[in-house]
Amino acid sequence: MRDKLSDLDLDLPILPTTAVGSYPKPDELKQARIKYLKGYLTEEDLRPLEEMATREWIRIQEEVGLDVVVDGEMYRGDMTAYFARKLDGFEMSGLVRSYGNRYYRKPIIKDEVQWIKPATVEYWRFAQNLTERPVKGIVTGPYTMMDWSFNEFYEGRKEACLALARNLRREVESLIEEGAKIIQIDEPALSARPEELSSFARRALEIMTEGLEAYFITHICYGAFKFIYPEMLDFPVDNFDLEMSNSGLNLTKLFEKYPFTKDISFGTVDVHDHKVEDEKVVKDRVKRALQVLRPDQIWIDPDCGLKTRTKKETIGKLKRIVFAAKYGRERIEDY
Amino acid sequence: MNIVPANFGSYPRVGDKPNQMRLREAYQKWEMGEITDDDMEEIYRDYTREVIEEQESAGLKIVTDGQLRWYDPISHFAKAIDGYEIDGLLRYFDTNFYFRQPIIKKDIERKGQIVSDEFLSAKKFTSSILKPVVTGPYTLAKHSIDNFYEDFSEIAFNLANVLGKEVKKLSKAGAEVIQINEPSILSNYDELSIFSEAFRRLASFKGDSQLCLALYFGDPAPLYEDFQNLPTDILAFDFTYNESLGEMIGKLGSEKDLALGLINARNTKIEKTDDVLTKIREITINLDCEKIYLQPSCGVEFLPRNKAFEKLKKISEIAEKAEGILK
Repeated sequence: MRDKLSDLDLDLPILPTTAVGSYPKPDELKQARIKYLKGYLTEEDLRPLEEMATREWIRIQEEVGLDVVVDGEMYRGDMTAYFARKLDGFEMSGLVRSYGNRYYRKPIIKDEVQWIKPATVEYWRFAQNLTERPVKGIVTGPYTMMDWSFNEFYEGRKEACLALARNLRREVESLIEEGAKIIQIDEPALSARPEELSSFARRALEIMTEGLEAYFITHICYGAFKFIYPEMLDFPVDNFDLEMSNSGLNLTKLFEKYPFTKDISFGTVDVHDHKVEDEKVVKDRVKRALQVLRPDQIWIDPDCGLKTRTKKETIGKLKRIVFAAKYGRERIEDY
Repeated sequence: MNIVPANFGSYPRVGDKPNQMRLREAYQKWEMGEITDDDMEEIYRDYTREVIEEQESAGLKIVTDGQLRWYDPISHFAKAIDGYEIDGLLRYFDTNFYFRQPIIKKDIERKGQIVSDEFLSAKKFTSSILKPVVTGPYTLAKHSIDNFYEDFSEIAFNLANVLGKEVKKLSKAGAEVIQINEPSILSNYDELSIFSEAFRRLASFKGDSQLCLALYFGDPAPLYEDFQNLPTDILAFDFTYNESLGEMIGKLGSEKDLALGLINARNTKIEKTDDVLTKIREITINLDCEKIYLQPSCGVEFLPRNKAFEKLKKISEIAEKAEGILK
């Protein structure tokens, strides 16, 4: 897909480095968000704190040396709830547990879903104006929005998912109109029900991407890939951003059996481990990536968003990403 | 026919009222080492009492301890069994809940009690029937990464033995009914023989207790008649994956008592009483069993607490109405 990147005037090195999306929020912003969620502050009140934090993360990413940067999602809490609040038709439920001691408010589809206005474009523009490096536009995908919401309105999962796709496409169109060239559609739920891949999940992604000029990434994590691989390679995206490290690179065994045909953002640091990986660990991961994939297919990034890590851990892990890519580039030269 | 309103297993740990966040807050402190294991245990006990009272106030006749101590249904068992190490997160079936995947590093052996202490602790808080829940050997084996055995059936059978001993302990502790959760068989129909043999081995430990085999997160229809041949007293089904399951059971009948998971524990939409009553009529048309259990399709922890409570109340309301209209 290097040609597509060139066509979009994206001049990226081999083994480009990037992040998945979220970074930890500073304490002041966290406190303000709690007040916002309780109704004591408005979105406008949060804005200066969000902008300050975004500036900081853009600066850090440039200093560390990422090739493609993200805005850090300082304005988002949960990835589903954020878009549910911006679309018409949703209400928020009480808290439900996702794992361990982590909880989230699950959206409820109460009425017909409708896109009203861009949810992420202003933030994307703000971040892009701070840097010369490309900033990804990131949208939670329709399948995940459907699967991670309760549905009290649509007849079934398919109807809810396709309605969401038609509306979230408007968000993608708005980002592209604004100048975003790399669009990431987050679909961590994609492997939930493998039989739904062909019956409507693929169609939903087609609705999101068809006829649009951008380099499309879809981020999938913590799923049972063995049930959807290699079928998922047919999906209308250029790059699959996959969690690899948390599962001990198990997926690479599948790649040996069925060659990976698209680009991949290869999760090279584990976002659920507080420890910043040793250099040797990430070197081994990159070596393994280069054993089963062509260098021109590979991007190097973390497994998932880093918002649950501390700032120090996050910077440590981003530095390892850049180190890993540098090491990989040297190895490629050795071939 | 007696219709018994029952809970399935898990119960939400947090709610929107301020005092319903105390378990979460305490857990955070415990993780950071700010409170001791004993402090945490005290909070678990207090919270267990609260969730049992909540289930009773919803009108249920069979309650659970809410599984409040479980990190997830897989690692809670694996960490208490010799031979396992706990690894990274993986999505749990088609839910948006994640479990820690256990790795088998050496021979699986019983280490000590697994859930029977939780059962004994909760039993003090209720005179209702308290139902302990055990993740079944097949499902636990299916969620394990095997770095030791080479044969999957060996893992399932060894786990049947280990978990069977836990069933025996629960039985001795006075559990009237013990629920064995085996959702994995519904996504692996071709492994029925291994599953059945593992279940038979586990069931041999049941003593005076009744066993309830819970089949959920999938469609049980293709194996319905095979499940009837297993040594279980009750079969619990999730009716949310196959709309015609009720009709099929109505035609085929059942040798076992049935626990009907007709209330969807994965969606907040509250069922209409008449719709559920129609389903119950359809299912029971050819049944001559004495008892039917009405319960959620799976653990209600997938719902926010207010909706979980509302659904459990709905179960009690429907059970009461159904008694009046069924023979």
